[in-house]
Amino acid sequence: MWRETLILTKRSLLVTLRNPFSFIPNLIISVFFLLVYTSGLSGISSLPQFGGVDYLNFILPVSIVSGAVGGAGGAGQALVKDIESGYFARLLLTPVSRTAIVLGPMLAGMLQLFVQTLLIFGMGFLLGLSIPAGSAGFFLTIVLALGFGLAFAGYSVGVALKTRNAQAAQAGTLLFFPLIFLSTTFVPKELIEAEWLKIAATLNPTTYIMEGMRAVLLRETIDWSVYTQGVLVAAVLSLAMVVFAALNARGALKK
Amino acid sequence: MIEVEQLTKEYNGKKVVDQISFHVKKGEIFAFLGPNGAGKSTTVQMLTTLIAVSSGHATINQYDIERDQKNVRLQIGVALQETGIDNDLTGQELLVLQGKLFGFSQEKAVERAHELLELVGLAADGKRRSGTYSGGMKRRLDLALTLVHQPTVLFLDEPTTGLDPASRLQIWTEVRRLNEEYGTTIFLTTQYLEEADQLADRIAIINDGKLIAEGTAAELKAMNGAERIEVVLEDQSASEAFRAAFSGRIEKEIVLLPSAGTETLKQVVRYLDDHHLTARSLVVKQPSLDDVFIQLTGQAYKEDK
Repeated sequence: MWRETLILTKRSLLVTLRNPFSFIPNLIISVFFLLVYTSGLSGISSLPQFGGVDYLNFILPVSIVSGAVGGAGGAGQALVKDIESGYFARLLLTPVSRTAIVLGPMLAGMLQLFVQTLLIFGMGFLLGLSIPAGSAGFFLTIVLALGFGLAFAGYSVGVALKTRNAQAAQAGTLLFFPLIFLSTTFVPKELIEAEWLKIAATLNPTTYIMEGMRAVLLRETIDWSVYTQGVLVAAVLSLAMVVFAALNARGALKK
Repeated sequence: MIEVEQLTKEYNGKKVVDQISFHVKKGEIFAFLGPNGAGKSTTVQMLTTLIAVSSGHATINQYDIERDQKNVRLQIGVALQETGIDNDLTGQELLVLQGKLFGFSQEKAVERAHELLELVGLAADGKRRSGTYSGGMKRRLDLALTLVHQPTVLFLDEPTTGLDPASRLQIWTEVRRLNEEYGTTIFLTTQYLEEADQLADRIAIINDGKLIAEGTAAELKAMNGAERIEVVLEDQSASEAFRAAFSGRIEKEIVLLPSAGTETLKQVVRYLDDHHLTARSLVVKQPSLDDVFIQLTGQAYKEDK
């Protein structure tokens, strides 16, 4: 199965590269977020609840996660395109396992987000980012970004297979808003005043991903328990999405 | 080779395919004939593992289409009604990829891709993105993709629908060649009576999800009686006596007479001579599948052009 997954991932990446407009806008948006947030909001990090951390380090995970949520829609869009061209049916007619067929575009989506995360970091370094925990903080953030990217690419692939409709798959990315805004996106949990928002942030898996990244980005000592929570959330979500997508692969023919 | 028992597909309580049973022998060209919406494509999608079966079962080369899907897929090549081509990749890339997904090594896949590009006459276009191909070229690439793993059974879902007569003949030739040279068993669906008649060893007629007849073209036609002679007389007042002499029937101005070959024809001509009658037209009609369809369903056969 891994050989086929690799072959199909390569194919998805090739298709992505041949359609640059499928990823360039999202790339620009996440860099834009980073720029706007740091220059517009950095003053609030002087509040005591921030404990003297740099706001750039605090907001960097938001840029990474919003890039992942926005960009993962691409994997679903590519899949709808395959269903509409009839190519997905051709893939279903090969002896390759259904899991490999859905993992291909998911992994390609994940790798796309990996490159995007590197670019966001690059932009961050240009803005003067320094990571107190050193390269460990950098790599651990990347790992979490990959996990979350896989989960979200899986979500968009699953929705595409379930609905087989470009508009519906696009609408699925509307999940972006609750995931990003009902979380500890801009301020730490202690600063959220509305009780309902606190509850939403606690239920929102994105919170654990962003907190996990902050656990390795903000201070010299890494908060392993928070980081592990993030990794677990990403792993469980990814697995659930792979299963969801694979189960919906059969019969995903053009309507 | 293909054994189908009581196969049924239901969508929202409506039986699109209703308990059909048939078998296709090894090396045969089997045509599934029926008008638009009869359930042909749904049957192909079930037999090729693309959609789940509601009830009944089927095997291909002894492999069960629900329980042994991987082996079924290794046996079959499928060209669906609409081509399955990724426009962003080149013909060559698609063929190599297809080979690798069927377990070929890189070298073997490349070799097979070249062979097939040659075979379908796309050797000069293999390095271009398939999105730039014409409709006819896409059809040929699609056929090549279907043949990569040398399937023993080929499913062709309406391979000539919407094609011009010349391209249709080209496909017929190709289908016969695959059948004769490689002994490939072929299951094709068609809404063209003539196509089934010309191409298939055996035909099953499907209408409204139900299989209504099965046999060779000759057997099916025999169900509707032998050939007949159709005459239109210049002087139509003589039609009735003419009809009675040969115990035929009249439809509008045409006198239809049952025929038993050239002997009847001689008698008809002699009768016309003897009675000094002139025929405006005189045709010997072979029984057609059209007649079979009308007889079985009570409705005229409609081809969707």
